[in-house]
Order: sequence, then structure tokens, then C-alpha cells
Amino acid sequence: MKAKAAKFAVEAGVLLLASMLSVPLRAQAGGATLSGTITNSSGAVVPGARISAKNDATGQVSETQTDSAGLYNLPSLAPGEYEVGVSAEGFSTNVAKVTITSEAKQTMNLTLGGVLSLGDLGFSPSETQGNARDQARLDKRSHMLKIHQRLGLIATAPLIASVITGPLAGGRSTSTSDRYLHLALGSAAGDLYFMSAYYALRAPKIPGTETRGPIRLHKALAWIHGPGMILTPILGAIAFDQKSKGERVHGIASAHGAVAIVTTAAYGAAILSVSIKF
Amino acid sequence: MKIKLLAAFLLLGTPAFAQADTQWALVQSTLTYHVSHPLHQVEGVSHAARGKAVCHAGQCDLLIAAPVKSFDSGDSNRDLHMLQVARGGQFPMISVRTHLPEDASASTTIRADLEIEFAGQTVRYKDVSFEQVTQGNQTRISGTIPATLSDFKIDPPSLLALPVKNEIPVRVEMTWQKH
Repeated sequence: MKAKAAKFAVEAGVLLLASMLSVPLRAQAGGATLSGTITNSSGAVVPGARISAKNDATGQVSETQTDSAGLYNLPSLAPGEYEVGVSAEGFSTNVAKVTITSEAKQTMNLTLGGVLSLGDLGFSPSETQGNARDQARLDKRSHMLKIHQRLGLIATAPLIASVITGPLAGGRSTSTSDRYLHLALGSAAGDLYFMSAYYALRAPKIPGTETRGPIRLHKALAWIHGPGMILTPILGAIAFDQKSKGERVHGIASAHGAVAIVTTAAYGAAILSVSIKF
Repeated sequence: MKIKLLAAFLLLGTPAFAQADTQWALVQSTLTYHVSHPLHQVEGVSHAARGKAVCHAGQCDLLIAAPVKSFDSGDSNRDLHMLQVARGGQFPMISVRTHLPEDASASTTIRADLEIEFAGQTVRYKDVSFEQVTQGNQTRISGTIPATLSDFKIDPPSLLALPVKNEIPVRVEMTWQKH
């Protein structure tokens, strides 16, 4: 009987000793725990703050939230270097580095960024809040001016070609085909020019903006090449009619060439004014 | 007795002074972005930034912001185009947040992690270096933020079918005053 009791006592003792020894081993297999308190810049606790701990080596992320007392607990963290981030509504994110050792528990208290907002800087809501309508207006303006730019560049080809073919069309010995070629090139240049001008004139204006810089010269030159592109074909039509009747170009029609050259020069300068920095 | 009262007051009062918030205000700033194009080198400058820093328990939170339309490149047409590609109609402000230890003001070089909100995107830049010079209760801070168009999901604008470079470094020069 006594032997049985003794045997039972020894077995119970061994069992108890084994269970006591196994506890630290289980803790080591589960990893360390990082915990602490999250406060704001005034020292008050922040409930509901989101905490994440990212292992630099493995990239593994553990996440949790603070309780009503601002406390958080991140268990089962493997030893290593971590990037701990804290964020909450109305606060800027705070990020800190921590080294998790093989100790069971580590404490890291963090303070959330102060509640600085654009209003704290003195900006009014009308300055800080945009709207889709303003953006749509800007988008439409840019889109139309892009078309204006492309059509304007395309128009330079027939415009220059018509200036080149001008002497052939208006010289002493010209053929009908020379005149018609010059007419076609001039017509193409004119069509492209006025389409380009349409997009520039109809692009939305942005209220409150002052015209400054090279764009002022670009707009000013339009007062030369614009009327020139109207006058040139009118004078050209008169000249064409005279040549068709076998006459020399005379009278007001003789100004066709000069007006065309001045118009083309102003047009070229307008393109260069917004393309190259002088 | 009086000495004991005075000692008690000092001992009790000191932690409160140590914990008191300090504030810094941005008194002068120049923000300059740089855009590279084969035909043009463009710089847009803004002096309209406002900023504030609140320091508590050895940590400071800074916020600096400026209206996007305040940047002037000398060409109103270009500035409006910049405003459009940067979605300035919908997101009219550019803001920079950072978090620094209060003792950073003692060194000549600061390295800061920045959180920048611009064109509807929030981008973090780590370890950006700034130089600082302190004179009296004012501190001058300068540095360059290595921003890119792709960071903020902005399509590179083009001129004569040639796009601008992706890199748009922003030079920052600020003067802060302690309150």
C-alpha cells in the first residue's frame, strides 16, 4: 500500500515537473509579444488606433487595434527587426523601428502625429476643396488647345508649300496647273488654319487667371496672321482671275504675295514663341 | 518653510514645463519644381506655402501645404496646363507631412520621412536629406524632394510630340520660427 502510494507520488511529481518545464518551451515556440499604449500629442490615449508590425526580413505583417484604454498587444512575433506603424482617423501616421529579441514581452509606447490639418494653416475650405467641374473645365481647355496645336502644326506644311509655289503661279510664264496647285495648297492651308483657330478661340477660359509670358506674344501675333489669312485668299482670287484672262497681276491683287509672306512669317513666329525659349 | 514651498513648487512644476508643447510656424518659403523637356527647362516657383509644427514629448509633427495654382513658371498657359495634368481642379493643394524628433533642430542635417499628398495621390519618400541653419529663434531648412510624375500617376505632358522627363525634383527652402 505504502509502496503504491509512494510510486503514485513519484509519478505525480515527475508529471508536475515535466509540465513546469514544458511551459517556457511552448512560450519560445510562440514568439515574443509586443505591447504598449498609443497616445496623442496631448498625452490622451487613442482607442481604435491601428497598429501593424512588419518583419523587415520576411515581410510578414501582424496587425491589431488598441482597446478603449489605448492598449495594444501583438503576440507571436519572431525575433528580428520590425517596422511598426500606427495610424488612426484624424492623425498622421507614425512609423518606428523596433528590434524584437527572444524575450517574452516587450513594451513600445507610441505617440500619434498631432492633429494638424489644412485648416490649422489658415486655408479656407474653398481653397482646399476642389471640384470635378473645375477639373472638367481644365481638361476641356487642354484637350482643345492640344487639337489647336496639332492642326496649327499640320497647317504649316501646305502654307509653306503655297508660298513656294507662289512665284510659279504668278510669274510671267505660268501654266494652269501651276496656278491650280498653288490654289489647292493655299486652300488646304486656309482650311487647316481656320479649324485650328476655332479650337483656340473656343477653348474654355479659366476665371481668375492673368495672361503672362510667351503666350502673350503668341496671341498678339494672331492679330497679324489672322487678318492676313483672310486677306491673302481674297487678293489671291483676284490675281487668279487676272491670270486666267491672260493679264498680268496688277492693282490691289499685286499685294497678294507680300501679304502672304507677312502672314506666313507672323504665323511661324507665333509657333516659335511657344515652342522655343528666347 | 518658504524654501521648502519653493522647492516643492519647482519639483512639481518642472515635469509640466518639460511636457509643454512648443510650436513652430513657417514664416517664409520658396518651393521650386523643375521640369525637363528637350526644348525647355522649366521651373515653377511658389511662395504661398504655409506650415506649422507642433512638438510634444520630444516629437514634432509638421504640416506644410501650398495651393497648386500658386506655382508660377512665368507662362500662364503652361501653368494652366500644369494645373490640368496635376488634377489641380479636383485636388487644389499639395501638402507635406513629416514627423521629427525635437532634438533634430540641434543638427545641421536632418533626414526625414515625408508623406506628400498631391494630385490625389499620397506618396511616401523615405530618408530625404535637408540642411538646416539656426539663427536665434529662426531655422532655415533647405533640401530637394526627389519627386517623379509617375509617383503621382501623372501622365507626362508633351510639347511638339516630345514628352517631359519623369523626374520633377522639388527644391524646398523654408524659414521656421519658434513660438
